[in-house]
Amino acid sequence: MRAFAFSSEPLAPDRCREALVDPSAGGYASFEGWVRDHSEGRTVHRLEYEAFESLAVKEGERIVAEAVRRFGVTRAACVHRVGSLAIGELAVWVGVSAAHRGEAFAACRYIIDEVKHRVPIWKKEHYSDGDSGWVNCERCAAAAHAHEPADGHDHGQADAAPAGGAAFSHDYSRQTALPEVGAAGQSRLAAASVLVIGAGGLGVPVLQYLAAAGIGRIGIVDGDVIEASNLHRQPLYGVADVGRSKALVAAERLRALNRDVRIDAHETHATADNIDGLLAPHDLVIECTDNFRAKFLVNDAVVRAQKTAVFASVHQYEGQLQVYRPLPHWPCLRCLWPEAPRDGLIGNCAEAGVLGPVPATLGALQAMQALKRLLGLDAGEPPSLVMVDLLTLATRRLAARRNAACDHENIGVAAPSGAARLELEFETLAQAFESGLELVDIREPWERAHDPPGLQIPAHLPLSELMHGRANFPAEGRYLIICAHGVRSLSLTEHLRSLGHAEVYSLRGGLAALRS
Amino acid sequence: MNEIEIQYFAVLRERAGTSREMVSTTAATAADLYDELAVRHAFGLPRAMLRVAVNDEFAEWSRPLAAGDRVVFIPPVAGG
Repeated sequence: MRAFAFSSEPLAPDRCREALVDPSAGGYASFEGWVRDHSEGRTVHRLEYEAFESLAVKEGERIVAEAVRRFGVTRAACVHRVGSLAIGELAVWVGVSAAHRGEAFAACRYIIDEVKHRVPIWKKEHYSDGDSGWVNCERCAAAAHAHEPADGHDHGQADAAPAGGAAFSHDYSRQTALPEVGAAGQSRLAAASVLVIGAGGLGVPVLQYLAAAGIGRIGIVDGDVIEASNLHRQPLYGVADVGRSKALVAAERLRALNRDVRIDAHETHATADNIDGLLAPHDLVIECTDNFRAKFLVNDAVVRAQKTAVFASVHQYEGQLQVYRPLPHWPCLRCLWPEAPRDGLIGNCAEAGVLGPVPATLGALQAMQALKRLLGLDAGEPPSLVMVDLLTLATRRLAARRNAACDHENIGVAAPSGAARLELEFETLAQAFESGLELVDIREPWERAHDPPGLQIPAHLPLSELMHGRANFPAEGRYLIICAHGVRSLSLTEHLRSLGHAEVYSLRGGLAALRS
Repeated sequence: MNEIEIQYFAVLRERAGTSREMVSTTAATAADLYDELAVRHAFGLPRAMLRVAVNDEFAEWSRPLAAGDRVVFIPPVAGG
């Protein structure tokens, strides 16, 4: 079977899949694109695909080879239909086998996205009113460069077209006028690929300024949905977005802001299993999460992959900013904090409170640090931790040095990925009560004050009391530890396990993940 | 006795009730100074969780102190 092929016969995924079987593969991921019954508000009842095959096959094979090389997967293949297709028929199939699932998913995603953008395939839509129209997928992708989720043929042009309908060309003259930027600098930005992890208080300004500046490709990683309590510091989102995926809504807004930018939305949290794959297509990483677990996970991954990363954190009115660069003398996050702090000890925004402009300021600084790095404007900037106090407007730069005891060659490899299960999932609190585990709420007293009557957990051990030694976690028994979002509870569960407490679990996603 | 200028951040600032103070101390090292202040302000954070900077540079806890040093205690923060 060829790496990329066209077929005028219906596709049989089971047969396609056989070509990917390999003894060294530990997993297989596939994507199927189906013909759907609507397109931009019109009812479709049939499709025809045509391709410039000699050219298209070459480009398709190039894409599959790129994916294999880039993600280090075992085998990969893609088959696209040509001819007439009915609603529900399989239009395109992508399959990847790999040692681990992270690379398999990433390569699969890469192939379908690139095929949609680069392979010359034309589609004729037959509408229910008898009308029909040709759509050149490659051309509209090239014109719009809108990186839509691989869900068929939704190019999202209608909502993003500028007023007047004329082709809109982005005007970067106000930044290219800077002698240090110029046309050459703008080309560097257009060629750059940046991953933003976390689309919250820090991530929102980072995403907006990078997209507006014309960065060529931006990946967004966020597994959360937008909550009403986010809006005061994340004004990229509106009231109607509450309950929707942060990554998807952010992608939508950025596409409307700048259609030159390719946006990839990843609706997931960064984990030990997916972080390396998420990083792979990007040159620079901006870490915008609100917890130590994610910050150190990202730190370890960028040190391993030798990529530049910009970190920031806030606490009430203060912020910290640090850049990691893959240079021998340069300190990483662990060089500064050899003991990775546990979440919950030092409050995040949910617990400590924050005014919107504080993360916005730090996020804007992160975007600036990223642009400086991409444009080569940071020469002579020494490794340091910059501290900003928004109450006094004092900033302080503390020179930081590489910690010889921090082993950058083997960083994070001893992380307990795949170790005994720490988290359990339940749909409702009632199901959790029925599990036979004893439920323990570790939130602070004021967080419990707003609980509705049906969501009350009698056993209460505030994390602050445990951390300061004013209370002890019971040594015996089987417990499900619960907090608001599952971050503090997971951290405490890890800590208790490390002390030998075998039967403690964390409620995944915390109370926010339960169905009320 | 050395006169030392101290700056606090985040949870330490909240506990101390100030972001900056001058102290007269016999503490010989940054570690001794933190231990002394931890008692005075009831800091709950163990020293191992913090970093100290003296005169705008990260320093070891064993660093000796001299009159006029500017000392900053820095807890890690994670909000975003």
